[in-house]
Amino acid sequence: MRKYEIVIIANPDLDEESINGIVEKVSGWIKDSGGEIEKVDDWGKRRLAYRIQKQREGHYVLITANIEPSAMKEISNNLRFVESVLRSMITLVEE
Amino acid sequence: MSEEINTEQMDHRGNRRFIARPKFCQFCSEKNTKIDYKNADLLRRYITEEGKIRPRRQTGTCAKHQRQIAAAVKRARYRIAALHFRTLPRRCSLRIHSPKKE
Repeated sequence: MRKYEIVIIANPDLDEESINGIVEKVSGWIKDSGGEIEKVDDWGKRRLAYRIQKQREGHYVLITANIEPSAMKEISNNLRFVESVLRSMITLVEE
Repeated sequence: MSEEINTEQMDHRGNRRFIARPKFCQFCSEKNTKIDYKNADLLRRYITEEGKIRPRRQTGTCAKHQRQIAAAVKRARYRIAALHFRTLPRRCSLRIHSPKKE
């Protein structure tokens, strides 16, 4: 188990429910792989430094979780196929 | 011959404006400030207005922390769009003044 941070930039036009839906979907994948969620941090809407998919803003969500390293590939691959996610990043947290 | 070149270089260096600044690394003296790709306001101090990463000679950062800053800036740029890429200074507005072709 290692500690990872997942930053998700979702489409800013989504309502609160669909944002929660995405977060639940991601945490579902993490739990399926035997990981555990530590924290979910909703940063809200922020201005992007440059446009992504013609959007000037993004809804940022930060998820901190303990995940098995072998499951990371699948999670990051799954994230790519969520259409309302503009961009995502998974990083290892160094202690 | 080589001496000549040396003196020339020295002269050149002498003419250049040099502003002395205290050389200390912010992250070495303040142990609590962690370099984090999420802290865009902190990282913004370590990039130029154009968006380039500022060199160590300007910021006084030590080598270890400079590497960490570079990694954090790149993460913030490419992946979470918190910092901008290098942007060129705005060109003079020639296009606006050019007369319309008729």
